[in-house]
Amino acid sequence: MSFSQGRMEDSPAPKDLAAYRAQLHAWLDAHREELAPPYTPPGTLDEQMAQMQRVKSILFDAGWMRYGWPERVGGKGGSPMLRTELGAAIAARDLTDPGLYSLIEVLAPTVIEFAPPALAAEVVPRLLSGAEMWCQGFSEPGAGSDLASLGCRAVPRGARGGASSWVINGQKVWTSLAQYSQRCVLLTRTGSVESRHRGITAFFVDMDTPGIRVAPLEMINGVREFAEVFFDDVVVPADRMLGELDGGWAVAMSILPYERSSCFWQRIAYLYRRLQRLVDVAPADDRAAEVIGNAFLQLHALRARSRATQHRLAGGGALGAETSIDKVLVATAEQATYDAVRRLLPGVVEIDDGMAGEAWRSEYLYSRAATIYGGTAEVQRDIIARRLLDLGDAG
Amino acid sequence: VIDAAERALLEQTVRDALARAATVAGGGGAVDDVLAQLGWRELLAAEPRAALEIVFGALGSAHARATALDDVLAAALGREPRGELAVLLPPFAAWEPPGQTEGDRLHARGLATARAATARQLLVVCRTDSGLAAVDVAPTRAELSPVHGIDPEAGFQAVRVWADAAHARRLDAAAWDSAVAFGRHALACQIAGASRAMLRLACAHAVERMQFGRPIARFQAVRHRLADALIAVEALEATLAVGGERPEALTAALAKAVAGRTARSVAAHCQQVLAGMGFTTEHPFHRFLKRTMALEGIFGAADEIALDVGRQLLATRSVPALVEL
Repeated sequence: MSFSQGRMEDSPAPKDLAAYRAQLHAWLDAHREELAPPYTPPGTLDEQMAQMQRVKSILFDAGWMRYGWPERVGGKGGSPMLRTELGAAIAARDLTDPGLYSLIEVLAPTVIEFAPPALAAEVVPRLLSGAEMWCQGFSEPGAGSDLASLGCRAVPRGARGGASSWVINGQKVWTSLAQYSQRCVLLTRTGSVESRHRGITAFFVDMDTPGIRVAPLEMINGVREFAEVFFDDVVVPADRMLGELDGGWAVAMSILPYERSSCFWQRIAYLYRRLQRLVDVAPADDRAAEVIGNAFLQLHALRARSRATQHRLAGGGALGAETSIDKVLVATAEQATYDAVRRLLPGVVEIDDGMAGEAWRSEYLYSRAATIYGGTAEVQRDIIARRLLDLGDAG
Repeated sequence: VIDAAERALLEQTVRDALARAATVAGGGGAVDDVLAQLGWRELLAAEPRAALEIVFGALGSAHARATALDDVLAAALGREPRGELAVLLPPFAAWEPPGQTEGDRLHARGLATARAATARQLLVVCRTDSGLAAVDVAPTRAELSPVHGIDPEAGFQAVRVWADAAHARRLDAAAWDSAVAFGRHALACQIAGASRAMLRLACAHAVERMQFGRPIARFQAVRHRLADALIAVEALEATLAVGGERPEALTAALAKAVAGRTARSVAAHCQQVLAGMGFTTEHPFHRFLKRTMALEGIFGAADEIALDVGRQLLATRSVPALVEL
């Protein structure tokens, strides 16, 4: 481990980040062969998952995976931007898929903030080191964009205040990587359905608990990345509650800041890599120049915006409705990047049965979901109109 | 280096001053005087980035006409900015040096701000057999005709120059690139200010205008247009905020192209929301629309710049990440 700077302040100076980045990339260069996927990309989801956990394990042992995480969960402290740099570096090198990897940023900060400290200290290092995978049990068949209407019910055994355990019944859907996961951050209904966001409680559930059944769903690109998860009288100890009873909405919302900052920065690094691949093989004519120039404009503006968002977060700012702008920009730029691929490499998405075709096709199809997952583009625009433009309520 | 609080104060001061000056009939000269009194040229020398962002942002937002672009270009070309010194701009949609020498004669064609009509010297950058040169041209050697076009209030002049090139001074190619970068950054800031202003007007209209018994702001189709406009404006503003103390060629090119794209989409959304009002000259929207259309072509519009940037990426087969955390 060559990087031996002490604890960084929460908002690191750009030169410190640049030094960290340089040392990180030098280390990744030196360990290139060890880190490379042992298959020809894209690989199967099983292969990708094994690769991701292997990479996490190597990076954890070398210390990189611990920068930016608190000491009390096995980290080395320092600004969360350090882990953002790591995520971007491995996405830019295609060592792991950023969509799979970024679940760390979605789930670990929430567990650190809301789980009992001993539980967080036990489980977070297992996630970071690749020993475990976790999933996010939020969406339901009847609760997609309208998450506050979720109905998966948790009932106390005994008195509501002092129950030693809770019994969960219901169904989740679009749960990414549930079939690979050892744990689930689960939102349940503990109040009446009418109580909406006030009657929701979060639990940290072991996926091997009796009564949990996982049924993977095949996505449009043929990958079985997400799943339906059924809960049938699943008993969860009360000390696995995350946050307060009926305080699950705060837990759900706590995911937003890192999902909308570090995850996006990783996704942007990945999109730059994709545009680079297109630029590597595109014809050197003006039609290609126009398409590539326009895609680059969008990626550049997005990157500029995302940088500002991360610095606001690192500077202690609370991220809220304004990250809906980041969300729409990421989704739009992602789709524009793959639209550019489809326009400049005719047939690669539609009829190319080689490895290049397989990879571009899968990613192209997956990119269509960018305006849907994590809150649809329409929901984001509603938030922007109400909260940022003060246009009042719709309807 | 000015801090955030000083900058906010300065922005407010400039905005207030421009708002007062813009009410004077004609606008033009009064705004230049106000900027000079506020110490605009001193700020440009000390803090070029902040100066461009504060002053041109305010010019765009207030729909004020000034000739500060001449000062920006003069400074980038290594000259002392003065009220009597104008700089010849390339023709609309172009960014090559506007002049060419043949032997000891200089020919040039391009645009200029209103300053060219009163300046004592017009600085012309030209190509020569051996590279670039700069020539100070007397007003008598330049033929000016006011551009009416879509935005007569912008004060642009169409310029032709036939002059003696004997006093041409060699100019480093990087100086012209720097002038283009400064000019693009300044114009992108002005377009950003104007785009914000269009969005403000459209939002104000949407919450006041009643149809079907409610403000039109309650209709999702209207809300989403305005949300899209805000997304574009905020992305543009973020683009303007990256980079170093002096605008650089590629980041300024991208900023100018993003500005052009933004102005087009913001104008389209806002005009649709403003509907009949946005189609009249009674409502101020049309001024901003026309001004952004005129400004977009100075130093290249979005389409030309995007094409040029794409050519650069293909020539080098590289996609540079110009922004780091």
